[in-house]
Amino acid sequence: MVTDKQSLQTPRAFGWVDLAVAGLLAAFIYAMVTVAHEWTAPLRQVPEIHLEARYLPLYTLFSLSRGIIAYGVSFVFTMVYGYTMARVAGAERVMLPMLDILQSIPVLGFLPGFVLGLVHLFPNQNVGLEIASVLMIFTGQAWNMTFSFYSSLKSVPPDLVAVARLSRMSWWERFIRLDLSFATTGLLWNSMMSMAGGWFFLMVSEAFVLGEHDFRLPGLGSYMSLAIERGDGRSQLLGVSAMLGMIVCVDQLVWRPLVAWSHKFTDEEPANASHSWAWERLRRSRLWRVAAQTWKFITPRPRLLAIAPVTYANVSVTGSAAMIGWRWTKWFLVCAIGAGVLFGVVEYVRLLLTLTSDEWLGLFRSTAATFTRVVVAVSLASLWTIPVGVMIGRHPRCSHAMQPIIQMAASFPAPMIFPVVVGAMMAFGTGLGISSVVLLLLGTQWYILFNVIAGSSSIPRELWEVSRLSRFSWWHRWSQLILPAIFPSLLTGWITAMGGAWNASIVAEYMKFRGQTLSTVGLGSAISEATERGQFHILAAAVGIMAVTVVGFNRLVWRPLSHRAQTRYSLET
Amino acid sequence: MTTPLLEIRNVSQSFPAANGGSVEILHDINLEICEHEVVAIMGPSGCGKSTLLRAIIGLEPPSAGQILYRGAAQTGLNPSTALVFQNFALFPWLTVQENVSVGLSHLSITSDERQERVRRVIADVGLGGSEEAYPKELSGGMKQRVGLARALAVQPEILCMDEPFSALDVLTSETLRNEVIDIYTSKTTPVNTILMVTHSISEGVFMATRLVVMGAHPGIIRAVFENKLPYPRDEHHPDFVALIEKIHGLITQAVFPAGQATGVIAGVDKFPIQTIPAVSLSSAIGLLEVLENEGESDLFALTRHVNIDLHQLLVIVHAAELLRWVTTPGGRVEMTAEGRTFLAASINTRKQQLNATLRTLFVFDLIVQALKQSSRGEVDESAVLSQFAQTFPHEGPQRLLRTVVSWARYAELFKYDSIRRVFHGLQQPAAMHT
Repeated sequence: MVTDKQSLQTPRAFGWVDLAVAGLLAAFIYAMVTVAHEWTAPLRQVPEIHLEARYLPLYTLFSLSRGIIAYGVSFVFTMVYGYTMARVAGAERVMLPMLDILQSIPVLGFLPGFVLGLVHLFPNQNVGLEIASVLMIFTGQAWNMTFSFYSSLKSVPPDLVAVARLSRMSWWERFIRLDLSFATTGLLWNSMMSMAGGWFFLMVSEAFVLGEHDFRLPGLGSYMSLAIERGDGRSQLLGVSAMLGMIVCVDQLVWRPLVAWSHKFTDEEPANASHSWAWERLRRSRLWRVAAQTWKFITPRPRLLAIAPVTYANVSVTGSAAMIGWRWTKWFLVCAIGAGVLFGVVEYVRLLLTLTSDEWLGLFRSTAATFTRVVVAVSLASLWTIPVGVMIGRHPRCSHAMQPIIQMAASFPAPMIFPVVVGAMMAFGTGLGISSVVLLLLGTQWYILFNVIAGSSSIPRELWEVSRLSRFSWWHRWSQLILPAIFPSLLTGWITAMGGAWNASIVAEYMKFRGQTLSTVGLGSAISEATERGQFHILAAAVGIMAVTVVGFNRLVWRPLSHRAQTRYSLET
Repeated sequence: MTTPLLEIRNVSQSFPAANGGSVEILHDINLEICEHEVVAIMGPSGCGKSTLLRAIIGLEPPSAGQILYRGAAQTGLNPSTALVFQNFALFPWLTVQENVSVGLSHLSITSDERQERVRRVIADVGLGGSEEAYPKELSGGMKQRVGLARALAVQPEILCMDEPFSALDVLTSETLRNEVIDIYTSKTTPVNTILMVTHSISEGVFMATRLVVMGAHPGIIRAVFENKLPYPRDEHHPDFVALIEKIHGLITQAVFPAGQATGVIAGVDKFPIQTIPAVSLSSAIGLLEVLENEGESDLFALTRHVNIDLHQLLVIVHAAELLRWVTTPGGRVEMTAEGRTFLAASINTRKQQLNATLRTLFVFDLIVQALKQSSRGEVDESAVLSQFAQTFPHEGPQRLLRTVVSWARYAELFKYDSIRRVFHGLQQPAAMHT
C-alpha cells in the first residue's frame, strides 16, 4: 500500500503545494504594489488602452483587483446592513423595502453620482475614478448577499440561541460562532452569484462617457470595449479568453475550495459532497496548518472578549444610563437619515419637473418597448431552459457533470459577446430592435436554467415512479407533476431573470460597434444615451421609471404568485 | 432549618397569541426544590413543563411571580444551572471538544484548566476518542452525550434536562438514564440536584426522588409525589409498580372525575361549552378496534397493550368519550352501544353517525350556526379563531382549528379551503341556487 503511506506522510512534507502557495503569496504582493501604483497615478481622462496581447495579464489583474475590492465592500455592507435589518427592532420595516428598491436601480443610475463626486474629491489622482469603478461593480454584487445573510439570521435555530445565552457568549463570539457560521453556506453561494453579477457590467464600469468626459480605466472591460469599438476581432477573442481564464481560475482556486470547506457548516453529510482538488491539496500542506493556527489565535479569545459574569448582575443598573444614551443616538440617527432622504426626494422631484411632456412621452414609449423585449426574452429563455433543465435535474449524474459547466457559462459576462451576436444577426438583416431580445436572452437564461435544475432534482423519486405506474400521458406528467413541482424554483428564476433583463437592456439596446453607435428605442438605450450626453434629468427619470417598474412588477405579480407557490406547490407536506 | 435551593413563588407565564391577546401557559406555580433531589416534572403536552424549566434557568423570565435561588431573588441567567436539550442543540460546525468548551469561555479559568476540564467531562460521559468528530458523524446517543458533557463542563449545581431521552431509541435512552443516575449518585461532579422534564411516568419514577405532576390549560401543579426507593431502582419491584399505578390513577382521575355524567343529552339546544382534544380520528377509531379485541379494559393495562404513554392515551380516550363511543366508569374504558354500531358500520354510515354527533359538540355547532347565518355561505377562519381564543383562553386556537377541520372533513360536516382560509358548507355557493 504505497499510496496509503504517501498520503500519511504528506502532512509533514514541505511539498510543492507549499511552494505553490508561497509563490502565490509573492505574486499577490507584487500585484498589490502594481495596483497601488496605478491607483496613485495622476488622473488621465483618456488614458491609452493598448490592444496588444502583452498588456492583457496586467489588465486582467487590474479588473480582478477591482472585483475583489468591490466584493470586500459588498461583504462589509452585507454584514452591517443585514445584521441591522435582522436584529435592530423596527429597522426591517424601512430597510427591507429600501434594499428592494436599491436592487432594482440599474448600475448607470449610480454612475454620475459616484464619478462626479469622487473625481471632485480626488481631482489629481486616479484613485477617485478607481473608487467609482469599484463602487459600480459593488452595485452589481451586494444586494443578493445581503438578502441571503438577512434570511439566515432570521432562521437561526432557537435552541442554539439558548445555548449561546447559557454560555454567556459575548456579542462578538455569538456573531462569529453562531450567526456568521450559520449563514456561511447561503452566503457562499450568493457570493459566487455576486461575483458573476459584478462582472456583467465590467465594460460599463471601466469605460464610460459622461457628458463631454470620456472616462477609461485600464482593465479587461475597457480593453474589450475598445476592441469592440474598433471592430478588432482578434483582440476581442483575446479579451474573451482572458475573461474566461480569470473566471476559471477564480472558480478553481477560490470558490471550489471554499465550497468544499463550507461543508462543515451544514448539519448533514451532503449526499454528493463537491470535491475540490485545490482544497484537498491545500489542507494537507504545512502552510495551511500554520494559517489555521494563526486563525485560531485571532478568532474569539474566550478570556479576552468575554464579559466577566459579574457585569451580568449589574446590567440592569448600568443599563439604564446606556439605554438612554442609545435611545438618543437612535433618534438622532433616524432624524439625520430622515432629513437626508427628504432632501434627496425634494431634489429628485425638482429634477423630474424639468422634463418636458414630450420627453416623458418618449420615456413611456421606451418603457413599453423594453417591457415587451424583457417579457419575450424571458419567455423564449423558459421555452428551452425548462425542458432541458428538467431533464438535467432528473438525472443526478448528469446534473453533477453539467453543474460546473453551466455555472461557468453563467458567470461569463454576456455583454462581452454581444457584438459577435449583433454582427451575425446584422448579416441576416436583423436590426438591433430584434437582436437586443437575443442579447437579453443570453444574459438571463442561466438564472432560469439553474433554478429549474434545482427544482427538478428535488422532485422525490417516488413521485416519478407514481407517474410511471399511473401511466401518465406526456401532458399529464407535465401539468400534474413537473410544472407544479418546479414552480417555486421556476418563480425564483423568473424573478431574478426579469430583474437582470431590465438591467441588461442598458447594454443590449445601445452599443458602440465598429466605429458606429447602434441603438434602438427602449428604456435601456434612453439611460445609456442620457448618460453619454450628460442629460441628468432624463437619466434620473429613466432610472426612476425602471426601478418603479421592477419593484411594482415584483409586488403586483411575483409576490402573490410566490405566496401561492409556497402554500400550494411546496414539496414539503 | 435550611433555605431551599430554589423557590418558585406564584410564577405565571403568558405569551402573546396570534390574535393579539395572550395565552396563559403557567398559572400561579409554587414549588420548592432542595439540595440532593432529583425532581421530575411531568404532565400532558402543553402543560408548560418546558416553560417552567426555562423560567427557572432564567432563559424566559416569568411574567409574574418570583424565582429565588438560595433565598435571593433571581434576575437573568442562574449561573449554577446547565441545560441539556431534547434535540441536543449542538453547533454543527464545531467539533465535540469545541462544543463542550463553548460554555466555558466566560469563566475566569486558565486555558490549561479549561482543557483539563473538557478532557475530563468528555471521558466521564464516555466520549473519549471522539474529541475531533463533528456532531453529524455521531449517533443520536453520542450526540446527547456531547450535550450532557457540555452541561457538566460548567460544573453546575443544578443539572436541568428538557426531555433529554425522548429523541433517542429505547435502548440508548435506557443506557443514558442509568449513566445520569450514576453521575448523580457517585458525587464525582458538583451536580447535587437534577431537575428534569419528562413525559414518561416510568422514566420519572425510575430517576426522580420527587415527581411533580402538572395539568394543562393553563399549566398548574396538580400533585407532588415523594419517591424514596433506593438507587439503583428495579423496575419490577412492587413499590416501583405501585407508585407508577398511583400516579396513573391521579392523572386518570383528573381527566375523568368520578361520578361525572358522561355523554351529552341530545335535544338540549345549548351544548356545554367544551373544547375537543387534539387527536386524530384514526387514533380514536383505533382505540375502538383495540377495545373490540380486548373487551373492556382498565387504562393501565391499555397503556401496556398499545405501548404509548398514559398522557397520550388519555386524550384519545377523552376524544372517544366526547364522541360517545366509550364511557369511563372508575378508570375503566368501556365501549358504548354507539361505539359498537360505529365500528360495525360501513364508511358512509360512519360518516352519517359522526356527522350527527359532531353537530352536538360546541365547537362544531359554532361553525355550523355561523355558516347558516352567513349570506355568502362562507365563514372566515379569522372569525372562528378569535371566537376560539375568547372562549378557550388557555388553548392554542390554531391547533384547535386544525383538529376541528380534520374531524369535520371526515364527517363531511363542512369544508375548509386552506388557500382562501374560509369555511364553507358542503354545497358550493353557486350550486345552492340550482
